[in-house]
Amino acid sequence: MEFIVEKIGMSRTVGVPSIPVTLLKIVDIKVCEIREDGSAVVAYSRGKKLNKPIEGQQKKYNLSKEFNRFAILNKVNNSEVGDLDLSPLESATIVQSSFNTKGRGFTGVVKRYGFGGGPRSHGSRFHRRVGSIDNAEFPGRVQPGQKMPGHYGNKKNSVKNEVVSFDKEQGILVVKGSVSGPNGAIGRLKVVK
Amino acid sequence: MRNKYIEYFEQKQIEGKEVPQFRAGDTVRVYVRIKEGEKVRVQRFEGVCIALRGQGTGKTFTVRKIGANGVGVERIFPLYSDSIEKIEVVRRGKVRRAKLYYLRNRKGKAARIKELRK
Repeated sequence: MEFIVEKIGMSRTVGVPSIPVTLLKIVDIKVCEIREDGSAVVAYSRGKKLNKPIEGQQKKYNLSKEFNRFAILNKVNNSEVGDLDLSPLESATIVQSSFNTKGRGFTGVVKRYGFGGGPRSHGSRFHRRVGSIDNAEFPGRVQPGQKMPGHYGNKKNSVKNEVVSFDKEQGILVVKGSVSGPNGAIGRLKVVK
Repeated sequence: MRNKYIEYFEQKQIEGKEVPQFRAGDTVRVYVRIKEGEKVRVQRFEGVCIALRGQGTGKTFTVRKIGANGVGVERIFPLYSDSIEKIEVVRRGKVRRAKLYYLRNRKGKAARIKELRK
């Protein structure tokens, strides 16, 4: 079963031992269309974006104005269109959540790949640089996959977490440990067990 | 301002826990539950609270005492932890700051705190 979730933030429990937890809000979803393979076209609300194509889709699926985003979920529990069925979450013990990691922009190799870097002082003149990237005449080219500076982060990352609790009224799922991305990010959640 | 969902989640856990009002400078006695194998016993730790920090379930306080041979001992407790049986305020201190880290550099008479009289 797949869901769309928003990362709320982290907290901890007071028990012994205290567990670090992440709060995920299950986004309100309307199932628009269920396909033959069990996947579904769904709509949810995010921001105020509205244009002609969105309006057209809203008219097609009979949705109110807030539902301005559309997505496809691989598997849903619903047998008919309407509000998404959240019952699989109540018995879930392990979930997999996929979020985009925090974008770090263009970064060097020390931050991106954990290169050691050089000495900071004693006139070393070699601080956070890449260093040598290959031999000279043989092979005469850089091997593919050579670690170099570049864009780091903002990439999908999935983690499996244990479920601590689920509050159906508020739609809050509490999982053990952390998930990727900043607070307020939208991601996917899959029930593993 | 904290998120209302986090607030709600933490409030639910803190609810019903009785914690006395105290601040830095107060002398407190903390009753800590310690599990040794199967047995659970209660240990006391008494000293001056030198700092309170954090909020919600993550709120902690630091207690400093002078142990054997004049060695300073500090312990940090989560305020709402289940392992704390109770907290007793032994003495109210008269201090002018919220964090008393300067006590770490003081010895003997200089490390005293006056009692608060109303």
